Amino acid sequence: MNPEPDKLDQILARAAGAEPVAPELVERISGAVLPGLRPVRPMPSAEAMVAALLLLSVAVGAGAAAILGMQGLAILSGAQALLIFAAIGLSGGLAASQSAAEMVPGSKAMANPIALMLGASLALMGIFAILFGGYAMDAFVPQGVPCLTAGLSVALPAGGGAWLILRRGFAVDRAAAGSALGTLAGLTGVTMLELHCPNLRAIHVMAWHVAVVPLGAAGGALLAWATHSLGAKRNAAELMQ
Amino acid sequence: MHPNANLEQLMARYQQGDSAAALALIERLSPPLHRFFLVQAVSRRDAGDLLQETWLRIHQVRHTYRPGEPLLPWLYAIARHIRVDHYRKTRRREMREQQVEVLPEMAAAARGGTEQGPDLEALLGALPESQREVITMLKVAGMSLEEVARATASSVGSVKQKAHRAYQKLRELLRVRADESGA
Repeated sequence: MNPEPDKLDQILARAAGAEPVAPELVERISGAVLPGLRPVRPMPSAEAMVAALLLLSVAVGAGAAAILGMQGLAILSGAQALLIFAAIGLSGGLAASQSAAEMVPGSKAMANPIALMLGASLALMGIFAILFGGYAMDAFVPQGVPCLTAGLSVALPAGGGAWLILRRGFAVDRAAAGSALGTLAGLTGVTMLELHCPNLRAIHVMAWHVAVVPLGAAGGALLAWATHSLGAKRNAAELMQ
Repeated sequence: MHPNANLEQLMARYQQGDSAAALALIERLSPPLHRFFLVQAVSRRDAGDLLQETWLRIHQVRHTYRPGEPLLPWLYAIARHIRVDHYRKTRRREMREQQVEVLPEMAAAARGGTEQGPDLEALLGALPESQREVITMLKVAGMSLEEVARATASSVGSVKQKAHRAYQKLRELLRVRADESGA
């Protein structure tokens, strides 16, 4: 028999009646918070934020493809297009939900941002491996670099727009928020590439198209971390003055 | 009705600019928040500073609370962020000063107890940080497993596992202490 369970329960129960805080500390806090207290507009609902992010993603991805030309979509069969865009849509939905959740403290997490980026990348690679053939490496880099550049060029404004939608939020984990947002931006880049790029060689699509997702996520995390560090340094410098 | 429903109503009124509601929240939530910081192996003075910093941050980002959502996960996610930031700053300062400090866990464990037995800070000082945090939220703040999972950005399963391991370790610790005092 365990001799001490009651004692542990007693100690924990005593702790539940937490000791009062010094009145002068409460006064100091209320003195800092209460003067000039103004009403604030709460953040929109998670659903509204996710819908706005998805709309932006579709608009930027499809808009860029419309400008560059829809040669990719033209050569895809109906089933191929359905499968590819369903996977991108599902991953995008998860990334948008997670991005929105990261900007409100204590939100229910949809998925770990790194798992989300890996899951989306691997799912797309799997689908491309099933749908397409061709693993010849000729012109692998010369054909790939323009696609990667174009994908990232579309991911950048998508990420910027998504940040504008979420800018009123407060991320307790900036790198995670940046990563989720970067994943969504990367998926926007992939959307454009699948609509535009007529190269259906499996190795090309799996490497250069999908690479936009992890690069977007890494870029988002890095940017979020850098802005946070810069902000922290600025705060420290202000305190030193 | 949920026991914290009143807190959520107060928070909604705080968002609307109601000073009385803000003061009521500060008075009600400061003691458990202060305990949360004390248990995380910081000094009483630092706990006071962290509490003040937490309220200032809560004030800055009060618009991010969505009325109708549970308040405590939102609040403790912010408090946790403040504590982690403080820990990182302290670590950086200590590394710069190149001082060999007593480890926080040991420092907390070295604190005393009362005649009724060891106090919470002394007891929890023996636990790893993540388990200490979970026990404090569950037992001091009175949060549910789901709420703790949201505040710590983890799953309910992970919170359950941490709580289970913490209880095991605490019971073992109390048994050893009882044996030592009996010997």
